[in-house]
Amino acid sequence: MKLYEHEALESIYKKYKIPAPRFVFATEPNDKVREFIDKEPAVVIKSMVLVGKRGKAGAVKVVSDKSQALDVFKDLASREVYGEKAIGALVEEKLDIKKEFYLSVTYSTKDRAPAIIFSEHGGMDVEEISPELIHTHVIRDVRSVYPYQIRNFLVGINFSDPDLLRPLSELIVSVFQAFWQTEARLLEINPLVVAQVGDKKKLVAADAVVLLDDDASVSPAVRFGARGGMGRPLTQREQDAILIDQGDHRGKAGSYVELDGDVALMTFGGGGSTVTAETAIEAGLRIANLTDIGGNPPAEKMYKIARIILSKPGLKAVLVCGGTASNTRIDVTLGEGLAKALDDMKAEGKLDPNLVWVVRRSGPEYVKGLRMLHECFVRNGIRGEIYDSQLPITEAPLRLRELMVKHIGYKPEVVA
Amino acid sequence: MKGPIYLNEKTGVVVIGATGREASQVIRESEALYPGIIKAGVTPGKGGSTELPVPIFDTLAQAIQDPKVGKSINTALIYVPPVSVLDAVMECLDGGIKVLYVITEHVPIRDSEIIFQEKVRRNAVIVGGTSLGCFVPSVGRIGAIGGKDPSIAFKAGGLVIISKSGGLTVTTAEMFKRRGWGTYCALAIGGDIISNTTYADVLKELKDDPNVKGVVMLGEPGGSYEEQAAELIQAGGFNKPVAAFISGRFQERMPEGVAFGHAGAIVERGMGKASDKIARLEAAGKKHPVKVAFYYHELLSAIESLGVPRDFEDSTTDLVKPLYSTIG
Repeated sequence: MKLYEHEALESIYKKYKIPAPRFVFATEPNDKVREFIDKEPAVVIKSMVLVGKRGKAGAVKVVSDKSQALDVFKDLASREVYGEKAIGALVEEKLDIKKEFYLSVTYSTKDRAPAIIFSEHGGMDVEEISPELIHTHVIRDVRSVYPYQIRNFLVGINFSDPDLLRPLSELIVSVFQAFWQTEARLLEINPLVVAQVGDKKKLVAADAVVLLDDDASVSPAVRFGARGGMGRPLTQREQDAILIDQGDHRGKAGSYVELDGDVALMTFGGGGSTVTAETAIEAGLRIANLTDIGGNPPAEKMYKIARIILSKPGLKAVLVCGGTASNTRIDVTLGEGLAKALDDMKAEGKLDPNLVWVVRRSGPEYVKGLRMLHECFVRNGIRGEIYDSQLPITEAPLRLRELMVKHIGYKPEVVA
Repeated sequence: MKGPIYLNEKTGVVVIGATGREASQVIRESEALYPGIIKAGVTPGKGGSTELPVPIFDTLAQAIQDPKVGKSINTALIYVPPVSVLDAVMECLDGGIKVLYVITEHVPIRDSEIIFQEKVRRNAVIVGGTSLGCFVPSVGRIGAIGGKDPSIAFKAGGLVIISKSGGLTVTTAEMFKRRGWGTYCALAIGGDIISNTTYADVLKELKDDPNVKGVVMLGEPGGSYEEQAAELIQAGGFNKPVAAFISGRFQERMPEGVAFGHAGAIVERGMGKASDKIARLEAAGKKHPVKVAFYYHELLSAIESLGVPRDFEDSTTDLVKPLYSTIG
């Protein structure tokens, strides 16, 4: 889960003593913002959004003329950046910047270890920095990380400013400890600036990109509130879905993302879900939502996610698709959970009788489970076809397309 | 010795977290199908319980010291909640166990990293987290892989199936079985960011195993483990036929950072894209017997064109009809 910059400043930088500019965050121009602007000779104002490349979108502004600062604040605190609405704005002291470095800590799958990534050429996107100017130090023993190791690394890459060797090596260790102890998967500071403060040079972290591990020992959704990764706030249904798995680790049913289409995908297993979604898209089906149900969830979880999936307005068809499950019980998930959701929605008048269904599933108790689901289809007047693994998994979306074209005149998207 | 290091005729399993819902189901099913592979279970507070077909102990140390089963234990199957996985792995490594499977999903990445570093220090083999286990038809299975009736998907043959996705491992074995290819070893390595056993690890382990006739590799976006396999092959480290399918090309049309599928399948910072992986494997395929399938079901034609011999007859039927239809 990604943090907003002000959250990272407040909850991580302060705790791990990572030097940051003086700042204030607010959703509207209140007294705190006014006082802050009054005290500073010049300020930097940033829209608080999760999307990156804010600078290029004009969502980061340096304001020297104080009479304009509040207007800029109002604009940046409420504007949309690449389609994402800002939740407020951050006001920071303007630094006297002499140099900009790039620093991040993340996991390298090449080394299967945390890696410190450093460049003396920061300030721009890391993708734009020439690869030979980016240096990596891999942490092979997380039990002993000391500044001297970082100094050896910096000397090894011919770091240009010996005066900064000690403070930079200590800062990098603090950043690593912040990454490690907060269970982040990315902590990026770009730029890490060398600022002139009086007659001294000082290292200041002028940005904070923090991605926390969703599986951390303390869930970041509990610490900071749930949020999506789609560059937009979560929909009500997405928020409801997250709650399904909270406090109950029996299986997983709450991974749910909404898109703009009209075909619901009730898919199972990380690999099976991905393959099915991919083929559906290649087949020109417009996807309304994606799920990734697995690990043998109990019937209650399946019931809840099925109701969420089917309550999205504008659906024309539903694809229930998974491979040959090893562990997930087909009678429990489809025969009980899904069937009960359909029974209840039908009784409540919430089930669209025009939906076209294709079901493709195999695994433990699939004969029983598919028969139970079929009986549910019959008693509720649901139209569709049910397959076991005779039908290859990637042909199920193609079969659904055929039925939709034939029965509801669906016009598939032409995929390039 | 029959079977690879992951599962062979000498394998004796202790299940950690044995009395939980999933684990007890797996123990009952596995012991009914392949009796004798699981030797014991451990659940603190449940020692002496007789509800399962294997003896249950409070601690691993007690299981190992047990005069009846202790000496036969050399492999651990871990089924504890995510926050307890690190503890369980350390209990097993400190107990001298050298082959471990972590079935638990959602292990905190930091714990996975500590586990990986310990594994390297102690020269152990750990498969997972998020593994579904291992299937070797000539020996048996570890974990839930294949479910109650593995004969649907598994029959002895010459293919090695390596997949991040457990479900897709079985689905793939079944797809090949219908068309005449059996499995030598199917290993669900899990999709975690820090993976203790990667494709390249498996290829290195099995490169001289005469039972291996071909490899089916199922990849996903995220990380660089597929790329590492391509590099190994490119460098001449594995010479047998490899058919690969990399899912998730569609994610490249979605915003960066949208996690879908496994934890490792997050497209980060322009690295680990499906298209990158496909390109690397295709490059390896110029000089080596590697083919990348565009559609998942084209893995079949890839294995056929690489010349991997069928193990038995193709049993495909011409037209698949639905089991049930309520639409005209």
